[in-house]
Order: sequence, then structure tokens, then C-alpha cells
Amino acid sequence: MTFATLRGAAYVLVHTPDLVAYGSVPSFERARATDFGQNFARSLRTYDEALTYPPHQAFIGNLNPGELAALPRPHHRQAVPGGRFGPRGEIMPQDEFFLWLKAVDVFSLVELEETFLAGCRERFAAHPLVSDTELARLGDGSPLSSIEERVKQGAAPLFHRGRLVGCVRPAHEHDHTLAAGVMLENLVAKASGVIVLKHLVKLTATPASSLDYLIETSEEASGDENQRGGGGFGKAIGEAAGCTRATAVDLRSFCAGPAHGLVNGAALVKAGVFGRVAIVAGGALAKLGLNARSHVQKGMPILEDVLGGFAVLVAGDDGVSPILRTDTVGRHRIGSGSSPEAVMRALVTEPLASRGLTPVDVQAYSVEMQDPDLTETAGAGDIPRANYRVIAALAVKDGHIDRSALNDFVTSRGYPGFAPTQGHIPSGVPLLGHFRDQMLDGKLQRAMVIGKGSLFLGRITSLFDGVSVILEANPGRPAAGALPASHAVTRLALVAHDHEAGATEVERGARLARQRHGLDVHILRPEDVPASITGSDPETRLQRWLEQLLSSGEVQGAVASHYNFPLGVATVGRIVPPGTGETCLLAATTGGSAADRVAALARNAVYGHILALALGNPRPVVGFLNLDGARPALRLVQKLAAAGYPIQLATSARADGGQLLRGNDLVAPPCDVLVADTLTGNLLVKILATFSSGGARETHGWGYGPGIGPGWPHLVNIISRASAAPVIAAALEFAAELARAGFVATMAGEFRKLEDLGWDALLATAQSPPALTASEPPRAPDGELTAELAGIDALELEAATAALHAAGIPTRSAMGCTGPTILVRPSDLERGQDILRAAGYA
Amino acid sequence: MDLENQSRVKALAEEYGPGHLMVVLGGAEAEASGLAAETVTAGDPAYAGPLTGVQLGLRVYHILEPEVKAAIDPQVYEEQVGLMEMVLDVDAISAEVSTIRQQYTRY
Repeated sequence: MTFATLRGAAYVLVHTPDLVAYGSVPSFERARATDFGQNFARSLRTYDEALTYPPHQAFIGNLNPGELAALPRPHHRQAVPGGRFGPRGEIMPQDEFFLWLKAVDVFSLVELEETFLAGCRERFAAHPLVSDTELARLGDGSPLSSIEERVKQGAAPLFHRGRLVGCVRPAHEHDHTLAAGVMLENLVAKASGVIVLKHLVKLTATPASSLDYLIETSEEASGDENQRGGGGFGKAIGEAAGCTRATAVDLRSFCAGPAHGLVNGAALVKAGVFGRVAIVAGGALAKLGLNARSHVQKGMPILEDVLGGFAVLVAGDDGVSPILRTDTVGRHRIGSGSSPEAVMRALVTEPLASRGLTPVDVQAYSVEMQDPDLTETAGAGDIPRANYRVIAALAVKDGHIDRSALNDFVTSRGYPGFAPTQGHIPSGVPLLGHFRDQMLDGKLQRAMVIGKGSLFLGRITSLFDGVSVILEANPGRPAAGALPASHAVTRLALVAHDHEAGATEVERGARLARQRHGLDVHILRPEDVPASITGSDPETRLQRWLEQLLSSGEVQGAVASHYNFPLGVATVGRIVPPGTGETCLLAATTGGSAADRVAALARNAVYGHILALALGNPRPVVGFLNLDGARPALRLVQKLAAAGYPIQLATSARADGGQLLRGNDLVAPPCDVLVADTLTGNLLVKILATFSSGGARETHGWGYGPGIGPGWPHLVNIISRASAAPVIAAALEFAAELARAGFVATMAGEFRKLEDLGWDALLATAQSPPALTASEPPRAPDGELTAELAGIDALELEAATAALHAAGIPTRSAMGCTGPTILVRPSDLERGQDILRAAGYA
Repeated sequence: MDLENQSRVKALAEEYGPGHLMVVLGGAEAEASGLAAETVTAGDPAYAGPLTGVQLGLRVYHILEPEVKAAIDPQVYEEQVGLMEMVLDVDAISAEVSTIRQQYTRY
């Protein structure tokens, strides 16, 4: 399964102290005769103060947001080094921004005073993102007198350090939706959006003209009195940024807009509608100075003096960038309710549970990342911290963590707030850039991005809103070994839809594996098989899906209760013999290594040896149980050892010695690997597993172990339909241990050595001569051979196959759950059954 | 405390008598809870609402204070308040509200 990926995220802040007066709160407060008005101007920060403010440096990527936690609070008393530009964007000064307002204004509404314009032009032109078109649009400026006149007539004045340097004219005589203040608000959102989109294009090295779709997610409304929120920001921003091939849309859901944008963008890419989608938003003029009243009252600087902007690029799977798991989208439903618990359940625990995950399985969360310096003095508290605490409290309530671990959860999975209170800007998106870098560095595996919005503020509903999406490291990146061990998370698939105790037991097993062993377990269900995978029946499709996931590396291994291994592949299990309490391998436990009994026993010995090697035992000792055919099989392995394969053979612990093991040896094996035929091995595992449960449930052990065979390319461990949750969890951990140990590579390497030593020819000497066939057997593509002829004895498999060939029926052999099976074309099934019945093979 | 709530508290106190009334707060912050407690005991500290200069002296508790918790069926409390009890700063809120209560409550 492929997903859209996060290619990059850009962030800008624009320091606009003289625009703070336009904020909704400052303009209201200044209109009243209070102390606020007198203290307002002296409470504004200089550009340098805004530049060295630690949360701002974190916003543009010069400071790891996690490092903010180590700095003493309040942060506005701290200054950190770091310049105007950072790896994810910049902090722009006000005067240059006024020139951007002019440069993106296509209706000549912005006028700048000529000496001010001349004084800034050179710096503006030197900006790495400014084009000639923008430079040309600046013009020469207007005389101060003309601007003063415009302001008298209703234009919105632009001040810089208290001096009148320009204005924004109304766009219509009487339409209040095009009034000067509204146009200023919209041009501010457009200009900051253009700047941040240009940064995104630069930092992702993606030509603007290659973008297909822009989703603009600010909270402003552009239109005229006939459609107050008509739209157009997206295309306006795209046009100014040179996105000539893109179309665009404005998407709104208050502060949840960006998270909706991310989900929509990722979905459109995944669906193939658009190749490259940017989600973009500029800043909010009205939210400047939102808590200025309390900042001024407490003698603090007015900290909400910056406009924010972000832009995110989403595109197809490049095998490297983090993937956006659009199959795990949290949504606040209309019927979800509005209590903190209801909201967080809808956004966090519900989507996670749909994939069998819990809040503990997410290593980092991006919530509403408001800078607490801005909100705490106003009585709104530390907003990100409150969000993290609710998620942690849900994890406690659901029993995933202990109550004493609540604070740890918050510190280890949360970040300090560092975004300005610009509504949509702090909501979920601020950590996307950081998460991407962490995932590319192999330091982060899974994160959740949560956006929430207060729809009720619009007074047409009392509802709340929110949406969340999971971000995961790209599984296509170099697997195992490339990641530092401490961060390695093994991804495994679990297929057990036919479990006797139902889906709940399987889910419990997966949960145990996650909790105890930190594994990333994905339960595959028949109903989730992608439509692109074809097959005659749900079983086949499920198996093909699993093979695809294994081949693509999307999972490193699997545990399955049913898997049709080809003949030649048998599983080797791990048991605890009652006499020693130590572990011992048992080969084989399911599948069939060969049709011939002697060859099968000899192969089983080698398979057990290979598994022991893979588990780190450099010189495993192998012992045959004294079963029919064990003696000639032992001789074959002795010949193999003589040919140079370093396999050690055991000696019975009984007084009379000998190389075949007896009953007592089974209780306390004198070896690392016990060799038996598949049925005996299978019975031994079952007896040991069900010994204390009365037989109906397998409650002990690791299941039946991994499939091993020449040319077999995957790690698939087998459990039974009766394996209880602890056994499922242990089987998953066994598979993870093998994945980490590079099991598949060890297996392939050993089979290469065996081939070089002529192992196949050696085995052929033990086998009865193959049944004679008159001519070349009939053939058909493997994909057509999907119908199963079961119930054939292993020793008669070849004869049965020959009988079918003689009747012109093409076949393929396979191992089913109950023994060997022959696969034929569905159209041959009935005739095949008749032939086998007539010949006495079935 | 907003003006609407102030007038409701005032009306209830007049109807039942301040001695028969207890206010249980549910604010998320210590400071805001303290201001609400002050409003229903010593009067509106912001001098803006109907309780300006009205010293009702009501008994006032925050839902997270141990006295209130002890009076509620533990299962119900866990169900309704358990989550926010983990999330909010119980000690700071309790300290703030109990200080105001000890200072101004007359019942």
C-alpha cells in the first residue's frame, strides 16, 4: 500500500508591531479610555527582540522545539542567538513586509510613501525570494501629502515606527466587505502566504510551476457583499508565487483548516487526482495583540506582534519522505460531543484503535502548539500542555500506562508550545517540519498531527471541530541496520482472521506484543485487502497482499495462522523441554520440507541448524529422534558434514549412547535442535502448548516458528487457530527477534552453501525413484492454479501428481494446514478429485 | 465570572438565602477559579457585574477539592471528573479556592 508523503514544510513570521493596533483586541481596548492606550506603544518589541525570542527561532527551525523545554521561563526574558533566516523559513521585518504588500497587490490598493519605499527598496531587492516582477510592481511611491489625503478619505494607514509610510485604500465605495480594513487584512494574509509558499518551493527544490493544487487554509474571508467568503486566496497566492500550472481552493474550518488541508491534500495525491499539492496559509491581522490587554497589565511586552505563515508540500511516495497515513484519520464527528474527553477520543484513541494501536504507540504528538508565554498571563494556561495531559489521561484511563507515568508521557511525547496565537497557524502544523527531519534521521517512527477548531465562534452552530492524521517514517527507507538500534521499531503483519477465539483474541495478542516488546504490529484482514490485488478467493488475495507487503519491505516479517508454503518449506519451532527448562529448537513443526520421508527428515535437520545459526548459536548441535527413517536421514547428514558443512550431531544421553535420541532425550535434549517429522513435531508443540490449559487453547510457547526452505524469501512465523493472545505475542516477538537478526539473509546464505556442496544430489540418493511419466507434464501459469486438492498422504504425493499429469491436468504442489495439497485449475478440480478417488489417493 | 452567572447567583441567594447555597466551581485554572470564588464571597473584584460590592459570603468549593470529592460516590466522581482530575493542577486550584473561602465565607 502506498501513501502520499510529506516533502517539506516552511514557516515564516513577520514582525509587525505597528499593525498590532489593527488587532481586534487592541483596537477595542484603545477605543476605551484606559491605561492600555497609554502603555500600548511602549510595550511593543523591537525587531531584534522578536528575532532573539526563543519560540520564534524554534518556529523557523534554528532551534529544536524540544530544546525550548530546557530554557527557563518566561521565554521573553531569554534571548537566543539565531538569525533572520532558518532552515524552514524566516522572520521578516515590518518595513520589507510593507513592500511585499505592495508587490502582491494587483488592484493598486496599497500606496507607499516615496522616501520610505526608496529607503527599503535595496533590501527588498536583495531578498533571495524576490523576483523582477515583484520589484517592478513597487513603482516609485507616492508623496506623503497624497497618502495623508487618502487616509482622511478612509484608507487604512500603515505606520512604521510610528511614522505614516503608506496606506491601503478601500476597494469599493460602500461595500463593507471591501472596506480598507478588510482589504488590509486580506492583503496581509495573501502577502505572508506568498512569502511562505516561496520558501517552501525553495527548500523542497520543487519548481513553483510543477505544483498541481494549492489548498489555502487561513481563517480570512475574501469576497464582496454578495459572497462575503467567496474565496480566491489560494489562486491569488499561487499566482504571485508563480504556480502557473496549479489550480487552488480555499478550505475553511477555523483553526482545524490546516489539518483538514493536510488530509485532503494527502487523499488527492493518494487517489492520483493531483501529483503535488501545497497546503498554505498566511497570517491573521485581527489576532495580533490577542492577549495584549493582560500582557500590558502585567508589565510584559506585547508578544503577539508577529504574523505567522506556513506551507506544506505533499506528493507521491518517494520511498524516503514520511508517509501520511490517510487510513488512520481521526475526525470529530457531528455526534461526538464537546467535552475534552469526547474530543480527544474522537481525534486520538478512536483512529488509533482502528489499527489496533494505542496512544503509547505514537512517539510524538503535534497539538495546538500555542506559545504559553502568550496565553498563561491571560488565564488560558499552557494550551499544548493541557492537550498532552488529556491524551495522557486517556492512556491512563484505558489502562495503557500507569497513572504515575502521566507526566512522563507528556514530557516524552509532547513539545513546548512555540507558535504565535494566530489561530490556524499553531494548530497541528508547526511540528510537521521537525517531524519530517526526525523521521529522515531515523529518530522518529510515528507521530500524530491534530487540528482543532472552534466552529461555535461563527454563531451558526454550537459545534466544535477537529481532525487528525498519522505521520510515519517511510518504510521504503533502508531497513534494519540503517536505524540506530534504540529507535528501531520492527514492523510486522499479523494474519489470523480465522482464529477459533475470534478477532478479540488476535487483537489482544497484537496489543501485548506492542506493549511488552514495542513492536509495530499491523493486523491484516480479508476486508482490508486493496482492490488492486486480485485472486480467486479471499484467502488467496490476503496471502498475496501479505507477500506484497513482505516483498516491498513495508513489513519486515509476519505471523500467520494459515499460510500455504510451497513444498520444500517447513517451519522450525522453539520449545521448552520439561526436563531442562531451557529452550530448544524443534524441526519441523508444520509444512513439508520434502515429499520423501527420509529426505524430509534430513532436510529438517538442516533447517533447524539454519534457525539456530540465525539466532546466534555459532555451532548448533543437532539430534534426530529415533523415528522411522531417522537412520538413513542421519547418514545423509553425516555425508553432508563430511562434504564440509559444519553441522554437529548429538549423542544420546542414555548409557548406551548412539546418535539417535530416545524418549529420555526428548525430556532433556542433549542438543540445540531436535529433528522429527512434521506431524511428530507439530504434536509435540501442541502438547507442550496446551499442557496446562486442558487442550483447547495453546497458552505456552512461541507457536510453530518460521518457514525455512531453499529459495524461500520471507520471514513468516506460524501460529495456530488455537494460539492464545500470549502465544500470539510471543510469536510476534520471535519473528521480531529474527527480523533484527537478519534471518532471511542467513537462510539464503546457508542454502547457497548447501547448493555448492551438492546437497540436492546427496538427497536424491535417498529418495525412491520418481514415478515415470510418459512425457513432459502438462503446464499452466501458477496464477491459474488456485483450486486445492487436499487429503493426500505425503508419501503418495508424487504418485498422485503423476496420475493427474497422465490425465492432462497441470498441477502445482503446496502444503496446506492438514498436509500436502495439489493445486489445479478450478476447471480441473472436479475431474481431479474423481481421478484421485478412483486411484485411492484421496 | 461573567455577568450572567453573577446575576443568577445573586437571584438564587435572594430566593433561598445565602446560608442555604453552596457554589461548586469547575474552572480549569487556579487564578480564574480564585476570582470566581472571590466574586461569590467578597463581591466582583472587576467592579463590573451585579455582585459588585455585594458580599454574599457563600460557601464555595472547586469540584477538584478533597472535601467535594469525599462527598461524591467514587465511581460517579471517577466517571465524570476522573479525567480532568488527572489533567488539571489540583493542588494549585485547591490552594487558591480554599484561601478565598477561609477568608470570606460566612457560612
